[in-house]
Amino acid sequence: MYKKLMLMIRKKSIIQSYLILQIFCFVICFFITNTFAYQDTLEKVKSSGVLTWGFDAEGGAPYVFHDTKHPSKLIGFEVDLVAAIARELGVKVQHFQNEWDSILLSLQRGDFDIALNGVEITSDREQAVLFTRPYFVYAEQIVVRASDNRINCLEDLHSKRVGTLYNTVAKQILDEMGDVTVNTYSGQIEPFKDLSLSRVDAVLVDLPIASYYAVPNPQLRMAGEPVGEGYYGIAVRKEDTALADELNIIIEKILRSGELKKIYERWGVWNVSQEKLFFHEGLLQKYTEMPPSLSKKVSLRVTTFLPTLMKGALVTIGISILSMMLAVVLGLTLAIMRLYGNKWLRRVSTAYTEFYRGTPLLIQLYILYYGLPNIGITLSAFIAAILGLGMNYAAYESEIYRAGIQAIPKGQTEASLSLGMSRRLTLRRIILPQAFRIAIPPMTNDFIALFKDSSLVSVITMVELTKSYSMLAAASMNFFQLGIITALLYFGMSYPLSIYARRLEKKLKYYDRNQ
Amino acid sequence: MIEISNLFKQYGEQPLFNGLNLEVEKGNIVVLIGPSGSGKSTLLRCINGLECFQKGCISVDGQKRYGVNEQSYNKTDEDSMVKDIRRKVGMVFQQFNLFPHMTVLNNITESPVRVLGIGRAEAEATAISLLQKVHLEEKAQNYPAQLSGGEQQRVAIARALAMKPEAMLFDEPTSSLDPEMIEEVLLVIKDLVSEGMTTIIATHEMGFARDVSTHVIFLEKGNIVERGSPKKMFSNPKNKRTKIFLSRFMK
Ligand SMILES: Nc1ncnc2c1ncn2[C@@H]1O[C@H](COP(=O)(O)OP(=O)(O)OP(=O)(O)O)[C@@H](O)[C@H]1O
Ligand SMILES: [Mg+2]
Repeated sequence: MYKKLMLMIRKKSIIQSYLILQIFCFVICFFITNTFAYQDTLEKVKSSGVLTWGFDAEGGAPYVFHDTKHPSKLIGFEVDLVAAIARELGVKVQHFQNEWDSILLSLQRGDFDIALNGVEITSDREQAVLFTRPYFVYAEQIVVRASDNRINCLEDLHSKRVGTLYNTVAKQILDEMGDVTVNTYSGQIEPFKDLSLSRVDAVLVDLPIASYYAVPNPQLRMAGEPVGEGYYGIAVRKEDTALADELNIIIEKILRSGELKKIYERWGVWNVSQEKLFFHEGLLQKYTEMPPSLSKKVSLRVTTFLPTLMKGALVTIGISILSMMLAVVLGLTLAIMRLYGNKWLRRVSTAYTEFYRGTPLLIQLYILYYGLPNIGITLSAFIAAILGLGMNYAAYESEIYRAGIQAIPKGQTEASLSLGMSRRLTLRRIILPQAFRIAIPPMTNDFIALFKDSSLVSVITMVELTKSYSMLAAASMNFFQLGIITALLYFGMSYPLSIYARRLEKKLKYYDRNQ
Repeated sequence: MIEISNLFKQYGEQPLFNGLNLEVEKGNIVVLIGPSGSGKSTLLRCINGLECFQKGCISVDGQKRYGVNEQSYNKTDEDSMVKDIRRKVGMVFQQFNLFPHMTVLNNITESPVRVLGIGRAEAEATAISLLQKVHLEEKAQNYPAQLSGGEQQRVAIARALAMKPEAMLFDEPTSSLDPEMIEEVLLVIKDLVSEGMTTIIATHEMGFARDVSTHVIFLEKGNIVERGSPKKMFSNPKNKRTKIFLSRFMK
């Protein structure tokens, strides 16, 4: 096998062999992480006296979130629930903060013992993990602006822009509707913010979230009855049946004792629907039989995932090209201001470059998209993404151009001026073309870097390639093959760029002084 | 044609010219000689507007450009004034300074087309005839990097001539050339001056200076130490320092 591989590597071109090696490494990692010796988790929890709980506090109120008065403290109805469970088990709780998108994956990897964070029980997820009996009955709630009376039921959402959270049943419902423009968010505050700003027409989220954020806000109102009832369950690893049994007994116990109701009432999330939790036996069948539209499996057939990835790739390409164009034009302007401008222009240019290079792109994006509305400027996500990336990279481009321009000998300017050309003409016809040639390699570098950095714009609701991948992967629980395909797509887009840049450089090389 | 009167020039605190006067008439061939650092390049660059100066006046074909400290100095007119002067005076540099990203032909046509607004076809025809004049017509489509130093300098001369200047300034045109290439460049310049082009040339080629010039000027530390006809200057210089300087070149 090894011999064969080496032979293959020798035969193929360097790139191909590099790819094969990379895949090889992936496969090895895959096996290593999957061959951990199995140990019963319930036994481990009891003997160590610690139950490790995975959740995402970014998911927010009222589930698990940071107390604004004591920011280091976590509060929420799930915090209280887990505390009750731990008490019954006679153990302590250890927190494990994990991105919600990958919470089940981390559970499978063994990062923590239970995932309890508004994880809806769906048949997709039941393929991957084991759920306890439900501990909460949720429903999806539409929220609209108080002034807007167009939307009063789910049907009214057709052809509207609707905000929701990543990887939720609400998102699935909206996707199934077909003609809804869905804006997906990873935090819970942002969709409501965009609703107030009219960037979306409605928000569809789990009822507890809706009640927590919309009820106290006079600008917003809940529209119509909750829809798409479903259940939250505690997820454990498939093999941890003993732990699941134990948890089922505990849930049953605190439900019957009324403690669960008390907890939910304390957080304002108790409603009549929760009574259904008592009809345990009937539920078991019901919650595994999701409405047919929702239980559709995300299969790994090319026809299902490739169009989604391709759409993401198109967004990535569009954003990258447009923001690079902005970066080039703005960067050149900044460089010229710095080199030829008066004292003030020079200062502005320097300050710009220092500021943009010295602050994280992520924060710049947040400020552009969520911060600017505070001073009355509301940008669309697409525009904010292009401005954010373009303005950030302009700072780097300006330094590249400045270095390129300065590398051109003074004699070139003097010869050009002595031929009667103006300073402007000299810059345009003599200096910049030569500086451009010097700038090609670093510019290519930057463009490829920007291309990859474009995945950051997913924080302002843009669904580009990386986000498409993580959504598909989380839904199908397949991070491996999809990951490789996505990586290949990125590579397939950036590699031609490198080749083109190399060709262009070669083409312009004929006039090099030291040929 | 070119008249320099009472020129004061200093770099920072370091004075170079202290009231220099020089008059070049139409058709004159003036050779500037002098040791390194004596101010030959600076003088040519002042004439061509590549350097500013503190006091005095340089007049080219009636266009007067004043030192920055003079009453008559006018900052707003400076740019267009310099531009006018540059159109009348061509300049050739020691380092050739051809544009490496353009072919020989485009090096020559660039300025006539962009600055004078001459049509491309006409500019190219002129360029080709100028290339014939410097014996390089077959290199029209080459890039500067593909030419020898001597060839590059001849292209630079053709490029300056394409602007149809009334006078030419040469700043040590052969100083960065290998010995075997010096001759070809000097021949081109000789041709040019024989047609009556007003010329100022800074050079260390004393034989050439003696053969072609009408006036020789010996410059030292920014001062004109001695001036006269080539015959007088080369055979019988009056000043001791001129004698010492020339004796080093005349074996
Ligand atoms: N940009 C500058 N800044 C400061 N001093 C300068 C500058 N250019 C020239 N000088 C000084 O001015 C003096 C005259 O220089 P210039 O180049 O005109 O001499 P040159 O006669 O052409 O010498 P060479 O024969 O070496 O070319 C020198 O002392 C030089 O150091
Ligand atoms: Mg000099």
